[in-house]
Amino acid sequence: MAGEDDVIDTKELELERIIGFNGKVPSGLLVHPDREHIVYPLGCNIIIEDITKEAKQCILSKHTNNVTCIAVSNDGRYLVSGQETHMGFKASIILWDYASKEAIQKWDLHKVKVEALAFSKNGKYVISLGGQDDGSVVVWDMTTKEPICGSPAQVESAGITSCLATSNVTDEEFVTGGETTLRVWTIDKENRKIRPSNTNLGGLKRVITCIEMVDDQDAKMPYFFCGTTTGDILCINKNTNILQFEVPSKNKFSLGVTALSFVKMTSKGFNILVGTGAGTVGNFDISVCFENGNKVKAVFKHRSDAQPWKHEEETSAITSIAKRGAGHQFFVGTAHSQVYKFQFADFTAELVKTCHSCPVNDVIFPFGLSQLMLTCQQGEIRVWNLTTGRELRRFVLANKICNALAISRDGKTIVTGWNDGKMRVFGFGPKDMSLELKHVIMDAHNKGVTAVALNTSGDTIISGGGEGMVRVWDLVFGTDLKGKKEIRAELRHSMKEHKNFVSEIVIRSNDKECASAGGDGTTIVWDLTKGIRKNVVFANTLFKSVCYGEEELQIITCGTDHKIGYWETFDGSMVRELEGAKAGAISFMDITTDKSYFVTGGEEKLLKLWLYREGEVTHVGRGHSASILRIRIAPDNRSIVSVSEDGAILQWKCPNSLMG
Amino acid sequence: MTSYDEPSIYNLLAVEETKEQKPKKYTSKFRQNVKQEYASGRDPNKTMGPAKVAVPPPTDFLKKHEKEPQLPTKETFKYPDEERRRPAVPSKDDTPLMGLKTTKNFICTNAVENITAVPKLPGKKYADTRHGDTHDLVPSGYEPVYVHKKEFGEVPTYLTKRKEEIKRAQEEYDQYIAEHFRRGALRQLTEEERAAILDGLKTNWEDIHDQYQGLSVVPDTAPKKNRKERMEAQMKQLERDIELFQKHKIIYIGN
Repeated sequence: MAGEDDVIDTKELELERIIGFNGKVPSGLLVHPDREHIVYPLGCNIIIEDITKEAKQCILSKHTNNVTCIAVSNDGRYLVSGQETHMGFKASIILWDYASKEAIQKWDLHKVKVEALAFSKNGKYVISLGGQDDGSVVVWDMTTKEPICGSPAQVESAGITSCLATSNVTDEEFVTGGETTLRVWTIDKENRKIRPSNTNLGGLKRVITCIEMVDDQDAKMPYFFCGTTTGDILCINKNTNILQFEVPSKNKFSLGVTALSFVKMTSKGFNILVGTGAGTVGNFDISVCFENGNKVKAVFKHRSDAQPWKHEEETSAITSIAKRGAGHQFFVGTAHSQVYKFQFADFTAELVKTCHSCPVNDVIFPFGLSQLMLTCQQGEIRVWNLTTGRELRRFVLANKICNALAISRDGKTIVTGWNDGKMRVFGFGPKDMSLELKHVIMDAHNKGVTAVALNTSGDTIISGGGEGMVRVWDLVFGTDLKGKKEIRAELRHSMKEHKNFVSEIVIRSNDKECASAGGDGTTIVWDLTKGIRKNVVFANTLFKSVCYGEEELQIITCGTDHKIGYWETFDGSMVRELEGAKAGAISFMDITTDKSYFVTGGEEKLLKLWLYREGEVTHVGRGHSASILRIRIAPDNRSIVSVSEDGAILQWKCPNSLMG
Repeated sequence: MTSYDEPSIYNLLAVEETKEQKPKKYTSKFRQNVKQEYASGRDPNKTMGPAKVAVPPPTDFLKKHEKEPQLPTKETFKYPDEERRRPAVPSKDDTPLMGLKTTKNFICTNAVENITAVPKLPGKKYADTRHGDTHDLVPSGYEPVYVHKKEFGEVPTYLTKRKEEIKRAQEEYDQYIAEHFRRGALRQLTEEERAAILDGLKTNWEDIHDQYQGLSVVPDTAPKKNRKERMEAQMKQLERDIELFQKHKIIYIGN
């Protein structure tokens, strides 16, 4: 083995594409004032993406944990982002220079979580709001990059403050809102003080989820709008702190108002975009008229030439509405990590981005085809086109988790393992090529199916379960009484050796042998013709993954002990052991078809490309913001795809040495 | 295995994700024209007379029968089974094959045969009306047929056979009894003995019957019910025995 000093220098893997968007961050999707880029969080990274040119992405990664809020200054020069962290630690705010995409300043003041961030009108200040455990508002000076002052965000009797908006008139005013609290603040820079004044909501008790400032539109009406969980919009006079009206008075939005965006002043009054927790996006006109005795009356009406938009099937909250420029076009982000582009003129939506919203449990390529891939997450299976990064097909099954995928070589059957102990066999519909459920193997494993594999001819499934059983099934293709094609599965062998979950099963290319990695510290090589154990490998670890190595006479394993083991399949003896990671378990590994390279990834969030024979890392991929769950090398050896717990799919460019 | 027509994931590669673009709503390019014409020259035919049409040239004059309908040409009728029919009988002029010719004089032979033939007897007939409508006599039943049968008035053979069989069976039985008597294995019950047994049975029956009559009307307990049933069974058995003894005059007892 090479010594410590003459290790070949590792290179960085080039990132080709990221498919991911954390839709759960309120107002996380932003359009930069240059109108050319959108900014959104993904795990602990921030991604700046070109709207016009496809897949031109830039990643800002300095945060150590999930990003919880982002803000862009009105002139577009700065970007500020806040994160959450573990209990008892300080959560940092990072100020970025937009042009150079570099971090300028890191502020550690808030405890545990930064709830919201905002730039003042001319960018003089940054206002930050701490989370539940912090509960304070801090104003930062942008000239000195130092904090000016801080103050508790709410009175002690009130709940958590969760949103923040700055005035469109002056730099010195901003508003915070939350559970039964709504305050207008003024900054006094000379005395280094901020002064709150509570608004009078009368008898109303509301939880404010979003605030939209419209105080610059009409001198008589210095208002701001607040969306609430009750499903109405409060209108408050910023100068007098008095509630003017709340709309709609009847038929309130179900699941609350989650996003608000002011578009323009029309003859009918304020024209605003409203996103709700039930997933509807509406464009409403609020006309205000003054009656005698300072009474304000408001009429709340949707624009007459369009209906409120809602996705036909999905119901996921609208978390952000981002206008491009003045609002001729706007982007809508949902909690289910979808991004829609709306045209304001005809109020039509176009799906521009689909991402996984929860951990991606498996990713596979069809045999010999690198342009398509299949992924699965909780309740969903998706087919992607990797060249465009677009989602092609989707199958949804609510409340079940898909753990593992396998596809036959002819590409006609997809076998999936689910946490309810069933295996579902899919095919493709004849007309629209949609994913079609063909057969369900009931009670395949009683603690959920954790691993599946298909042989080369595609008629034998090998499945591993959470209870440790490895089972071999024969797929029988026949016709039912009516002459319709049907698939049936018949159990051939049930092999009970593992004492804990089976994490991965790989089949040798001659279909006579397979290897299964188990959570009980064993990796077992099975004889598939007889249905018995051939050999077993022991280690003090939870094996996470296994691959067939050189000439399929060796297997390589990885697990929670940070080690990569090379083992002989013939007698189960160890050939070599490598230190695979400095910290954290190695969750997955994949090997090229010519067995010269393999990749590993895990809780370290790093993707490592190894030379098989030398056992040395040649390339490292940085970019994941959560622990990597699966990695696959594309069949043409041109790219590597890795998926992680935050739902991101990263596509890496393979180095040239691998392609040759 | 799966058939080839089934779609696979590889087909998805060819699927171009094109957005469904609705074709533009159709508008005629003459729309504006039509509008203008409609507005300007409203119903010109009404005032200007029929439309002016070019006159046909003198070379294109009206010809004979030109305006008559053009009928399709007639087709000869054919029977549909014409091909399947047998060939026609040869005509008298047809020369036979190989010049074959019979020497038989059909006219002469036919005449001779008829002359020498025995004439057929007329069948028996009967007339049932005064107009002389005749019918065959034989099947009518008027002719006495069975009286003239050969075996008329005799005992049928099956009866004599049956009689003989019975007689033989009786003889066999008698022989069998006699055999048993001879061996001392059987004993005939005398008339006195038979009467004594019959009397005894009858007295027994009467006794039980008396008791039965003395039973309570409602057999409310289990023992009562059992007793009643038992007595009924006994009486029935006795009745059967009495009947047996009354039926048969001669009774043998096997030792």
